[in-house]
Amino acid sequence: MTYLKPLPQIEPRNKEFWDGLAAGEFRVPKCDNCGHYNWVPYPACRSCLSEAQTWTPVSRDATVWSFSLVHRGPGAFNDDVPYAVVLAKLAEEPRSCIVLGNTTGIAPEDLYIGMPLRIVFEEIPGEDVTVFRFAAADAAEPDDADAALSAENQPATVA
Amino acid sequence: MARPRQAAIAGVYTTKQGKLPDRTSFSLQLEAIKGALDDAGIPIEEVDGIIPLSMSDHLPGTTAHQFWANQLGERPLGLMETGGASGALAKAALAIENGMCEVVVLFYGKAGSLVGPRGTAMPDRAPRVPDWSFYQSGAYMTTWYALWAQRYMHEFGVTHADLAEVAVFTRHHATLNPDSIMGRKGDITVEDVLNSRPICEPLNLLDCSLDNDGGYAVVMTSIERARSSKKKPVLVLGGAESTYTDFYVTINDPWFPEEGKAVRRATDRAFAIAGIDREDIDVAGLYDCFTITTIRDLEEMGFCKLGEGADYVKEGHCALGGKMPTNTDGGLLSNSHAGDPAGMHTIEVVRQLRGECGERQVPDAKLGVSLQQGWAVHGMAGVLVMATE
Repeated sequence: MTYLKPLPQIEPRNKEFWDGLAAGEFRVPKCDNCGHYNWVPYPACRSCLSEAQTWTPVSRDATVWSFSLVHRGPGAFNDDVPYAVVLAKLAEEPRSCIVLGNTTGIAPEDLYIGMPLRIVFEEIPGEDVTVFRFAAADAAEPDDADAALSAENQPATVA
Repeated sequence: MARPRQAAIAGVYTTKQGKLPDRTSFSLQLEAIKGALDDAGIPIEEVDGIIPLSMSDHLPGTTAHQFWANQLGERPLGLMETGGASGALAKAALAIENGMCEVVVLFYGKAGSLVGPRGTAMPDRAPRVPDWSFYQSGAYMTTWYALWAQRYMHEFGVTHADLAEVAVFTRHHATLNPDSIMGRKGDITVEDVLNSRPICEPLNLLDCSLDNDGGYAVVMTSIERARSSKKKPVLVLGGAESTYTDFYVTINDPWFPEEGKAVRRATDRAFAIAGIDREDIDVAGLYDCFTITTIRDLEEMGFCKLGEGADYVKEGHCALGGKMPTNTDGGLLSNSHAGDPAGMHTIEVVRQLRGECGERQVPDAKLGVSLQQGWAVHGMAGVLVMATE
Protein backbone atom coordinates (compact mmCIF):
# COMPACT_ATOMS: atom_id res chain seq x y z
CA MET A 1 0.00 0.00 0.00
CA THR A 2 1.39 3.38 -0.94
CA TYR A 3 2.12 5.65 2.00
CA LEU A 4 0.17 8.88 1.38
CA LYS A 5 0.79 10.77 4.63
CA PRO A 6 3.17 13.73 4.78
CA LEU A 7 6.88 12.92 5.13
CA PRO A 8 9.80 15.23 5.96
CA GLN A 9 11.93 17.14 3.51
CA ILE A 10 15.36 15.74 4.32
CA GLU A 11 18.03 18.43 4.07
CA PRO A 12 21.70 18.71 5.06
CA ARG A 13 20.84 20.46 8.33
CA ASN A 14 18.52 17.67 9.50
CA LYS A 15 19.94 14.61 7.71
CA GLU A 16 21.69 13.40 10.89
CA PHE A 17 18.33 12.99 12.55
CA TRP A 18 16.69 10.97 9.76
CA ASP A 19 19.85 8.89 9.25
CA GLY A 20 19.66 8.17 12.97
CA LEU A 21 16.15 6.79 12.71
CA ALA A 22 17.28 4.47 9.89
CA ALA A 23 20.11 3.31 12.17
CA GLY A 24 17.78 2.67 15.10
CA GLU A 25 18.71 5.82 17.03
CA PHE A 26 16.72 8.89 18.05
CA ARG A 27 19.29 11.68 17.87
CA VAL A 28 18.79 15.03 19.57
CA PRO A 29 21.14 18.03 19.42
CA LYS A 30 23.07 18.17 22.72
CA CYS A 31 24.84 21.39 23.60
CA ASP A 32 28.63 20.98 23.76
CA ASN A 33 28.79 23.88 26.20
CA CYS A 34 26.04 23.32 28.80
CA GLY A 35 24.97 19.75 28.04
CA HIS A 36 21.30 20.55 27.51
CA TYR A 37 19.31 18.67 24.87
CA ASN A 38 17.17 20.83 22.57
CA TRP A 39 13.95 19.71 20.89
CA VAL A 40 12.93 20.69 18.28
CA PRO A 41 16.44 21.21 16.91
CA TYR A 42 17.38 24.89 16.70
CA PRO A 43 20.59 26.45 15.30
CA ALA A 44 21.82 27.31 18.81
CA CYS A 45 21.15 25.96 22.31
CA ARG A 46 18.13 27.69 23.85
CA SER A 47 19.73 27.52 27.31
CA CYS A 48 23.18 29.08 26.66
CA LEU A 49 23.03 30.21 22.99
CA SER A 50 26.05 28.13 22.02
CA GLU A 51 26.07 27.10 18.36
CA ALA A 52 28.21 24.06 19.19
CA GLN A 53 25.75 21.16 19.40
CA THR A 54 26.23 17.48 18.65
CA TRP A 55 23.56 15.06 17.41
CA THR A 56 23.44 12.59 20.30
CA PRO A 57 21.42 9.36 20.57
CA VAL A 58 19.00 9.52 23.50
CA SER A 59 17.68 6.67 25.66
CA ARG A 60 14.38 6.47 23.70
CA ASP A 61 12.54 6.36 27.03
CA ALA A 62 9.69 8.83 27.31
CA THR A 63 6.36 9.40 29.04
CA VAL A 64 3.02 10.68 27.75
CA TRP A 65 2.88 14.40 28.52
CA SER A 66 -0.41 14.96 26.70
CA PHE A 67 -2.41 13.15 24.03
CA SER A 68 -5.44 13.43 21.78
CA LEU A 69 -7.50 10.83 19.95
CA VAL A 70 -8.20 12.22 16.50
CA HIS A 71 -11.54 11.31 14.93
CA ARG A 72 -11.34 13.50 11.84
CA GLY A 73 -8.04 13.28 10.00
CA PRO A 74 -6.58 15.38 7.18
CA GLY A 75 -6.04 13.62 3.84
CA ALA A 76 -4.85 10.02 4.15
CA PHE A 77 -5.04 10.14 7.94
CA ASN A 78 -8.83 10.01 7.72
CA ASP A 79 -8.54 6.30 6.80
CA ASP A 80 -7.00 5.61 10.22
CA VAL A 81 -9.42 7.33 12.60
CA PRO A 82 -9.40 7.23 15.49
CA TYR A 83 -5.64 7.56 15.88
CA ALA A 84 -3.58 9.01 18.68
CA VAL A 85 -1.34 12.07 18.58
CA VAL A 86 0.85 12.28 21.66
CA LEU A 87 3.21 14.78 23.18
CA ALA A 88 5.93 12.63 24.71
CA LYS A 89 8.44 13.98 27.21
CA LEU A 90 11.85 12.39 26.71
CA ALA A 91 13.66 11.06 29.77
CA GLU A 92 16.60 13.38 29.11
CA GLU A 93 17.07 16.33 31.50
CA PRO A 94 17.28 19.11 32.50
CA ARG A 95 15.69 20.98 29.57
CA SER A 96 12.46 19.19 28.66
CA CYS A 97 12.25 17.72 25.19
CA ILE A 98 8.56 17.39 24.26
CA VAL A 99 8.16 15.40 21.04
CA LEU A 100 4.97 15.20 18.99
CA GLY A 101 4.22 11.92 17.24
CA ASN A 102 1.96 8.92 16.70
CA THR A 103 1.71 5.71 18.69
CA THR A 104 1.93 2.08 17.61
CA GLY A 105 0.36 -0.90 19.31
CA ILE A 106 -1.36 1.11 22.05
CA ALA A 107 -5.14 0.84 22.41
CA PRO A 108 -6.66 4.33 22.67
CA GLU A 109 -8.29 3.58 26.01
CA ASP A 110 -4.93 2.59 27.48
CA LEU A 111 -3.32 6.01 26.99
CA TYR A 112 -2.85 8.20 30.05
CA ILE A 113 -0.66 11.12 31.02
CA GLY A 114 2.51 9.72 32.59
CA MET A 115 2.35 6.43 30.67
CA PRO A 116 5.87 5.09 30.00
CA LEU A 117 6.75 4.98 26.31
CA ARG A 118 9.61 3.80 24.17
CA ILE A 119 10.57 5.22 20.78
CA VAL A 120 10.49 2.60 17.99
CA PHE A 121 11.12 2.86 14.27
CA GLU A 122 9.21 2.17 11.08
CA GLU A 123 10.55 2.08 7.55
CA ILE A 124 8.22 3.63 5.00
CA PRO A 125 7.90 1.33 1.96
CA GLY A 126 8.75 2.97 -1.34
CA GLU A 127 10.27 6.01 0.37
CA ASP A 128 13.76 6.88 1.61
CA VAL A 129 12.49 7.64 5.11
CA THR A 130 12.36 5.81 8.43
CA VAL A 131 9.99 7.43 10.94
CA PHE A 132 9.58 7.08 14.69
CA ARG A 133 6.55 5.98 16.71
CA PHE A 134 5.81 5.73 20.41
CA ALA A 135 5.15 2.23 21.75
CA ALA A 136 4.19 1.22 25.29
CA ALA A 137 7.45 0.77 27.24
CA ASP A 138 6.36 -2.61 28.57
CA ALA A 139 5.04 -3.91 25.23
CA ALA A 140 8.09 -5.97 24.29
CA GLU A 141 11.84 -6.07 24.42
CA PRO A 142 12.84 -2.98 22.46
CA ASP A 143 14.82 -4.77 19.79
CA ASP A 144 12.08 -7.36 19.26
CA ALA A 145 9.55 -4.60 18.93
CA ASP A 146 11.67 -2.88 16.33
CA ALA A 147 12.12 -6.07 14.35
CA ALA A 148 8.41 -6.84 14.46
CA LEU A 149 7.60 -3.39 13.16
CA SER A 150 10.01 -3.69 10.25
CA ALA A 151 8.64 -7.11 9.37
CA GLU A 152 5.08 -5.86 9.37
CA ASN A 153 6.29 -3.19 7.02
CA GLN A 154 3.13 -1.12 7.05
CA PRO A 155 1.93 2.26 8.28
CA ALA A 156 1.33 2.02 11.97
CA THR A 157 -0.43 5.22 12.93
CA VAL A 158 -3.47 3.37 14.26
CA ALA A 159 -3.36 3.44 18.00
CA MET B 1 2.49 60.37 29.86
CA ALA B 2 0.46 62.76 27.73
CA ARG B 3 -0.27 61.56 24.22
CA PRO B 4 0.43 63.86 21.27
CA ARG B 5 -3.12 63.01 20.22
CA GLN B 6 -5.71 60.31 20.77
CA ALA B 7 -6.55 57.46 18.38
CA ALA B 8 -10.11 56.24 17.93
CA ILE B 9 -11.97 53.58 15.99
CA ALA B 10 -14.31 55.38 13.61
CA GLY B 11 -15.68 52.56 11.48
CA VAL B 12 -16.30 48.83 11.54
CA TYR B 13 -17.93 46.46 9.06
CA THR B 14 -18.64 42.77 8.67
CA THR B 15 -19.70 41.17 5.38
CA LYS B 16 -22.16 38.32 5.39
CA GLN B 17 -20.52 35.35 7.19
CA GLY B 18 -21.17 31.76 6.14
CA LYS B 19 -20.84 29.72 2.95
CA LEU B 20 -20.27 32.26 0.19
CA PRO B 21 -19.58 30.18 -2.95
CA ASP B 22 -20.25 33.09 -5.31
CA ARG B 23 -17.69 35.40 -3.71
CA THR B 24 -13.90 35.73 -3.90
CA SER B 25 -11.55 36.63 -1.08
CA PHE B 26 -10.67 39.84 -2.94
CA SER B 27 -14.27 40.96 -3.33
CA LEU B 28 -14.96 40.33 0.37
CA GLN B 29 -11.86 42.38 1.27
CA LEU B 30 -12.89 45.27 -0.97
CA GLU B 31 -16.47 45.17 0.33
CA ALA B 32 -15.14 45.24 3.90
CA ILE B 33 -12.84 48.21 3.22
CA LYS B 34 -15.63 50.21 1.55
CA GLY B 35 -18.13 49.18 4.20
CA ALA B 36 -15.98 50.23 7.17
CA LEU B 37 -15.07 53.55 5.53
CA ASP B 38 -18.77 54.19 4.81
CA ASP B 39 -19.58 53.33 8.45
CA ALA B 40 -17.05 56.00 9.46
CA GLY B 41 -18.09 58.46 6.78
CA ILE B 42 -14.47 58.79 5.69
CA PRO B 43 -13.64 58.78 1.95
CA ILE B 44 -11.08 56.36 0.54
CA GLU B 45 -8.88 59.33 -0.41
CA GLU B 46 -8.01 59.84 3.28
CA VAL B 47 -6.67 56.32 3.86
CA ASP B 48 -2.90 56.35 4.38
CA GLY B 49 -2.31 53.23 6.41
CA ILE B 50 -3.35 49.63 5.82
CA ILE B 51 -3.23 46.38 7.76
CA PRO B 52 -4.00 43.59 5.27
CA LEU B 53 -4.48 40.26 7.02
CA SER B 54 -3.79 36.92 5.34
CA MET B 55 -4.87 36.02 1.78
CA SER B 56 -4.67 39.65 0.65
CA ASP B 57 -1.65 39.50 -1.69
CA HIS B 58 -3.34 39.35 -5.07
CA LEU B 59 -0.42 40.10 -7.41
CA PRO B 60 2.34 37.48 -7.42
CA GLY B 61 5.71 38.96 -6.48
CA THR B 62 4.09 42.09 -5.02
CA THR B 63 3.44 42.48 -1.30
CA ALA B 64 -0.14 42.89 -0.13
CA HIS B 65 0.67 46.45 0.96
CA GLN B 66 2.00 47.41 -2.48
CA PHE B 67 -0.92 45.79 -4.24
CA TRP B 68 -3.53 47.52 -2.12
CA ALA B 69 -1.71 50.89 -2.29
CA ASN B 70 -2.19 50.76 -6.03
CA GLN B 71 -5.61 49.10 -6.05
CA LEU B 72 -6.99 51.79 -3.74
CA GLY B 73 -5.91 54.49 -6.19
CA GLU B 74 -2.15 54.87 -5.92
CA ARG B 75 -2.29 55.75 -2.25
CA PRO B 76 1.01 56.87 -0.68
CA LEU B 77 0.83 54.89 2.58
CA GLY B 78 2.38 55.92 5.87
CA LEU B 79 1.70 52.67 7.72
CA MET B 80 2.17 49.18 6.33
CA GLU B 81 1.43 46.78 9.18
CA THR B 82 0.84 43.06 9.07
CA GLY B 83 -1.86 41.36 11.05
CA GLY B 84 -2.66 37.85 12.10
CA ALA B 85 -2.83 37.52 15.82
CA SER B 86 -0.45 40.42 16.37
CA GLY B 87 -1.37 43.70 17.98
CA ALA B 88 -1.49 45.50 14.64
CA LEU B 89 -4.33 47.76 15.81
CA ALA B 90 -2.33 48.66 18.92
CA LYS B 91 0.56 49.77 16.75
CA ALA B 92 -1.77 51.59 14.36
CA ALA B 93 -2.97 53.66 17.33
CA LEU B 94 0.62 54.59 18.17
CA ALA B 95 1.24 55.50 14.53
CA ILE B 96 -1.81 57.78 14.44
CA GLU B 97 -1.03 59.33 17.80
CA ASN B 98 2.52 60.13 16.74
CA GLY B 99 1.68 61.50 13.32
CA MET B 100 2.88 58.71 11.05
CA CYS B 101 -0.53 58.50 9.40
CA GLU B 102 -4.13 59.68 9.63
CA VAL B 103 -6.55 56.92 8.63
CA VAL B 104 -5.74 53.20 8.93
CA VAL B 105 -7.83 50.32 7.60
CA LEU B 106 -7.41 46.76 8.87
CA PHE B 107 -9.20 44.26 6.64
CA TYR B 108 -9.71 40.59 5.93
CA GLY B 109 -11.80 38.45 3.62
CA LYS B 110 -11.78 34.78 2.68
CA ALA B 111 -14.02 32.76 0.42
CA GLY B 112 -13.94 29.24 -0.90
CA SER B 113 -11.36 27.47 1.22
CA LEU B 114 -11.53 25.58 4.50
CA VAL B 115 -9.19 25.80 7.48
CA GLY B 116 -10.06 22.45 9.08
CA PRO B 117 -9.26 18.88 7.99
CA ARG B 118 -12.14 18.82 5.47
CA GLY B 119 -10.04 21.22 3.41
CA THR B 120 -7.17 18.73 2.98
CA ALA B 121 -7.22 16.85 -0.34
CA MET B 122 -6.12 13.21 -0.69
CA PRO B 123 -2.70 13.20 -2.41
CA ASP B 124 -1.51 10.55 -4.88
CA ARG B 125 1.90 10.26 -3.19
CA ALA B 126 3.31 11.18 0.20
CA PRO B 127 3.64 15.00 0.34
CA ARG B 128 6.90 16.38 1.71
CA VAL B 129 6.62 18.91 4.52
CA PRO B 130 9.13 20.79 6.72
CA ASP B 131 11.16 18.50 8.96
CA TRP B 132 9.44 18.82 12.34
CA SER B 133 5.98 19.59 10.98
CA PHE B 134 2.94 18.27 12.87
CA TYR B 135 1.38 17.38 9.51
CA GLN B 136 3.49 14.20 9.54
CA SER B 137 1.53 13.00 12.56
CA GLY B 138 -1.95 13.85 11.31
CA ALA B 139 -2.21 16.77 13.70
CA TYR B 140 -3.83 20.11 12.86
CA MET B 141 -5.02 23.16 14.79
CA THR B 142 -7.77 21.31 16.63
CA THR B 143 -5.29 18.60 17.67
CA TRP B 144 -2.97 21.19 19.15
CA TYR B 145 -5.72 22.78 21.20
CA ALA B 146 -6.87 19.28 22.22
CA LEU B 147 -3.35 18.47 23.48
CA TRP B 148 -3.37 21.78 25.34
CA ALA B 149 -6.81 21.03 26.82
CA GLN B 150 -5.85 17.49 27.86
CA ARG B 151 -2.72 18.71 29.66
CA TYR B 152 -4.65 21.59 31.26
CA MET B 153 -7.43 19.28 32.48
CA HIS B 154 -4.79 16.96 33.95
CA GLU B 155 -2.91 19.70 35.79
CA PHE B 156 -5.90 21.56 37.20
CA GLY B 157 -8.55 18.85 37.63
CA VAL B 158 -10.88 20.45 35.10
CA THR B 159 -13.42 18.29 33.22
CA HIS B 160 -14.77 18.37 29.68
CA ALA B 161 -18.12 19.43 31.14
CA ASP B 162 -16.33 22.47 32.59
CA LEU B 163 -14.97 23.41 29.16
CA ALA B 164 -18.40 22.89 27.61
CA GLU B 165 -19.85 25.75 29.66
CA VAL B 166 -17.98 28.13 27.34
CA ALA B 167 -19.81 26.79 24.27
CA VAL B 168 -23.14 27.13 26.11
CA PHE B 169 -22.89 30.81 27.07
CA THR B 170 -21.32 31.72 23.73
CA ARG B 171 -24.15 30.03 21.80
CA HIS B 172 -26.72 31.87 23.90
CA HIS B 173 -25.14 35.16 22.88
CA ALA B 174 -25.30 34.06 19.23
CA THR B 175 -29.06 33.50 19.55
CA LEU B 176 -29.33 37.24 20.29
CA ASN B 177 -27.23 38.21 17.26
CA PRO B 178 -29.31 38.06 14.05
CA ASP B 179 -26.12 38.05 11.91
CA SER B 180 -24.54 35.02 13.64
CA ILE B 181 -24.27 31.72 11.80
CA MET B 182 -25.39 29.44 14.65
CA GLY B 183 -27.86 31.69 16.46
CA ARG B 184 -30.87 30.40 14.54
CA LYS B 185 -30.09 26.86 15.76
CA GLY B 186 -30.92 27.95 19.28
CA ASP B 187 -29.40 27.35 22.68
CA ILE B 188 -27.29 24.31 23.55
CA THR B 189 -26.59 22.54 26.84
CA VAL B 190 -23.46 21.05 28.37
CA GLU B 191 -24.88 17.62 27.44
CA ASP B 192 -25.21 18.73 23.80
CA VAL B 193 -21.50 19.58 23.78
CA LEU B 194 -20.52 16.31 25.47
CA ASN B 195 -22.73 14.34 23.06
CA SER B 196 -21.55 16.08 19.89
CA ARG B 197 -19.20 13.97 17.82
CA PRO B 198 -15.55 13.87 18.85
CA ILE B 199 -13.09 15.71 16.60
CA CYS B 200 -9.84 15.57 18.57
CA GLU B 201 -10.54 14.25 22.07
CA PRO B 202 -11.12 15.81 24.48
CA LEU B 203 -12.60 18.38 22.07
CA ASN B 204 -15.92 17.60 20.40
CA LEU B 205 -17.58 19.38 17.48
CA LEU B 206 -19.29 21.94 19.73
CA ASP B 207 -15.97 22.74 21.45
CA CYS B 208 -14.66 23.94 18.07
CA SER B 209 -15.05 27.21 16.23
CA LEU B 210 -16.87 27.43 12.91
CA ASP B 211 -15.05 27.18 9.56
CA ASN B 212 -16.77 29.57 7.16
CA ASP B 213 -16.28 32.38 4.65
CA GLY B 214 -16.52 36.07 5.45
CA GLY B 215 -14.80 39.43 5.65
CA TYR B 216 -14.50 42.42 7.96
CA ALA B 217 -12.69 45.72 8.37
CA VAL B 218 -11.84 48.28 11.06
CA VAL B 219 -11.08 51.97 10.45
CA MET B 220 -8.93 53.87 12.95
CA THR B 221 -8.08 57.58 12.91
CA SER B 222 -7.49 60.51 15.28
CA ILE B 223 -10.24 61.44 17.71
CA GLU B 224 -10.55 64.82 15.98
CA ARG B 225 -11.22 63.19 12.61
CA ALA B 226 -13.45 60.54 14.20
CA ARG B 227 -15.65 63.17 15.84
CA SER B 228 -16.64 64.54 12.46
CA SER B 229 -17.43 61.09 11.08
CA LYS B 230 -20.81 59.37 11.12
CA LYS B 231 -20.60 57.17 14.19
CA LYS B 232 -19.77 57.69 17.86
CA PRO B 233 -15.96 57.33 18.17
CA VAL B 234 -14.50 54.58 20.30
CA LEU B 235 -11.24 55.60 21.97
CA VAL B 236 -8.23 53.32 21.88
CA LEU B 237 -6.84 53.70 25.39
CA GLY B 238 -3.96 51.32 24.89
CA GLY B 239 -2.81 48.14 23.29
CA ALA B 240 0.13 45.80 23.10
CA GLU B 241 1.36 42.61 21.47
CA SER B 242 3.60 39.73 22.42
CA THR B 243 4.91 36.41 21.13
CA TYR B 244 7.10 33.77 22.71
CA THR B 245 7.39 30.76 20.45
CA ASP B 246 7.42 29.31 16.94
CA PHE B 247 4.51 28.16 14.76
CA TYR B 248 3.23 24.99 16.47
CA VAL B 249 6.64 23.30 16.63
CA THR B 250 8.33 23.69 20.02
CA ILE B 251 6.53 22.92 23.28
CA ASN B 252 8.02 24.66 26.29
CA ASP B 253 7.60 22.94 29.66
CA PRO B 254 5.70 24.06 31.71
CA TRP B 255 2.81 24.97 29.41
CA PHE B 256 0.94 26.82 32.19
CA PRO B 257 3.51 28.74 34.24
CA GLU B 258 2.25 30.93 37.06
CA GLU B 259 3.89 33.98 35.47
CA GLY B 260 2.05 33.49 32.18
CA LYS B 261 3.24 33.80 28.61
CA ALA B 262 2.49 36.06 25.63
CA VAL B 263 -1.15 36.80 26.47
CA ARG B 264 -0.17 37.82 30.01
CA ARG B 265 2.54 40.17 28.82
CA ALA B 266 0.41 41.82 26.14
CA THR B 267 -2.49 42.26 28.58
CA ASP B 268 -0.36 43.73 31.36
CA ARG B 269 1.22 46.20 28.94
CA ALA B 270 -2.10 47.15 27.35
CA PHE B 271 -3.75 47.91 30.69
CA ALA B 272 -0.67 49.80 31.90
CA ILE B 273 -0.72 52.00 28.80
CA ALA B 274 -4.49 52.45 29.06
CA GLY B 275 -4.16 53.44 32.71
CA ILE B 276 -7.22 51.53 33.83
CA ASP B 277 -7.85 48.55 36.10
CA ARG B 278 -8.97 45.35 34.38
CA GLU B 279 -11.73 44.98 36.99
CA ASP B 280 -13.42 47.99 35.38
CA ILE B 281 -13.96 46.32 32.00
CA ASP B 282 -17.66 46.21 31.04
CA VAL B 283 -17.47 44.01 27.94
CA ALA B 284 -14.83 41.70 26.48
CA GLY B 285 -14.08 40.05 23.16
CA LEU B 286 -11.71 37.17 23.89
CA TYR B 287 -10.35 34.86 21.23
CA ASP B 288 -12.38 31.65 21.43
CA CYS B 289 -11.22 29.29 18.69
CA PHE B 290 -12.00 26.42 21.09
CA THR B 291 -13.72 26.24 24.47
CA ILE B 292 -10.37 25.74 26.23
CA THR B 293 -9.08 28.97 24.68
CA THR B 294 -11.62 31.21 26.42
CA ILE B 295 -10.82 29.63 29.79
CA ARG B 296 -7.10 30.17 29.29
CA ASP B 297 -7.72 33.73 28.00
CA LEU B 298 -9.46 34.65 31.26
CA GLU B 299 -6.59 33.26 33.34
CA GLU B 300 -3.73 34.68 31.31
CA MET B 301 -5.38 38.09 31.12
CA GLY B 302 -5.67 38.16 34.89
CA PHE B 303 -9.48 38.19 35.14
CA CYS B 304 -9.09 35.17 37.41
CA LYS B 305 -6.28 33.02 38.78
CA LEU B 306 -4.46 30.20 37.01
CA GLY B 307 -6.63 27.09 37.06
CA GLU B 308 -9.81 29.04 37.88
CA GLY B 309 -10.98 29.99 34.39
CA ALA B 310 -13.68 27.33 34.29
CA ASP B 311 -15.00 28.44 37.68
CA TYR B 312 -15.13 32.03 36.44
CA VAL B 313 -17.26 30.90 33.51
CA LYS B 314 -19.51 28.69 35.68
CA GLU B 315 -20.11 31.61 38.03
CA GLY B 316 -21.73 33.39 35.09
CA HIS B 317 -19.32 36.31 34.79
CA CYS B 318 -18.96 35.94 30.99
CA ALA B 319 -22.68 35.75 30.24
CA LEU B 320 -24.86 38.74 29.45
CA GLY B 321 -25.87 40.07 32.85
CA GLY B 322 -22.59 38.90 34.37
CA LYS B 323 -19.79 41.17 35.51
CA MET B 324 -17.89 40.97 32.20
CA PRO B 325 -20.10 39.82 29.30
CA THR B 326 -17.76 38.12 26.84
CA ASN B 327 -18.09 37.37 23.13
CA THR B 328 -21.56 38.87 22.97
CA ASP B 329 -21.77 38.28 19.20
CA GLY B 330 -21.43 34.52 19.67
CA GLY B 331 -17.69 34.53 19.15
CA LEU B 332 -15.75 32.22 16.89
CA LEU B 333 -17.67 29.27 18.33
CA SER B 334 -21.15 30.39 17.25
CA ASN B 335 -20.94 33.65 15.29
CA SER B 336 -18.19 33.27 12.66
CA HIS B 337 -14.64 32.03 12.11
CA ALA B 338 -13.61 32.88 8.56
CA GLY B 339 -9.99 31.74 8.86
CA ASP B 340 -8.27 34.82 10.26
CA PRO B 341 -10.78 36.36 12.67
CA ALA B 342 -8.22 38.61 14.42
CA GLY B 343 -10.46 41.69 14.13
CA MET B 344 -13.86 40.20 14.89
CA HIS B 345 -13.68 40.51 18.68
CA THR B 346 -12.61 44.14 18.41
CA ILE B 347 -15.54 44.88 16.07
CA GLU B 348 -18.09 43.46 18.53
CA VAL B 349 -16.60 45.45 21.42
CA VAL B 350 -16.78 48.62 19.29
CA ARG B 351 -20.45 47.92 18.54
CA GLN B 352 -21.13 47.39 22.25
CA LEU B 353 -19.42 50.65 23.20
CA ARG B 354 -21.47 52.45 20.54
CA GLY B 355 -24.65 50.92 21.96
CA GLU B 356 -25.61 49.26 18.65
CA CYS B 357 -26.17 45.71 19.87
CA GLY B 358 -29.94 45.49 20.30
CA GLU B 359 -31.03 42.46 22.32
CA ARG B 360 -27.47 41.59 23.27
CA GLN B 361 -26.50 45.12 24.32
CA VAL B 362 -24.56 45.39 27.57
CA PRO B 363 -26.26 48.27 29.40
CA ASP B 364 -24.11 51.37 29.76
CA ALA B 365 -20.93 49.71 28.43
CA LYS B 366 -18.06 52.21 28.70
CA LEU B 367 -14.86 50.14 28.80
CA GLY B 368 -14.02 47.15 26.64
CA VAL B 369 -11.09 44.90 25.82
CA SER B 370 -10.31 42.57 22.92
CA LEU B 371 -7.78 39.76 22.68
CA GLN B 372 -6.62 38.15 19.49
CA GLN B 373 -4.22 35.22 19.67
CA GLY B 374 -2.81 32.37 17.65
CA TRP B 375 0.20 31.15 15.61
CA ALA B 376 0.72 28.59 18.42
CA VAL B 377 -1.59 27.95 21.36
CA HIS B 378 -1.53 31.39 23.00
CA GLY B 379 1.70 31.88 21.05
CA MET B 380 1.10 35.37 19.70
CA ALA B 381 -1.22 37.89 21.28
CA GLY B 382 -2.64 41.33 20.65
CA VAL B 383 -4.70 43.22 23.24
CA LEU B 384 -6.69 46.42 22.71
CA VAL B 385 -8.34 48.43 25.50
CA MET B 386 -11.19 50.66 24.27
CA ALA B 387 -13.57 53.19 25.80
CA THR B 388 -16.46 55.48 25.02
CA GLU B 389 -15.51 59.15 24.83
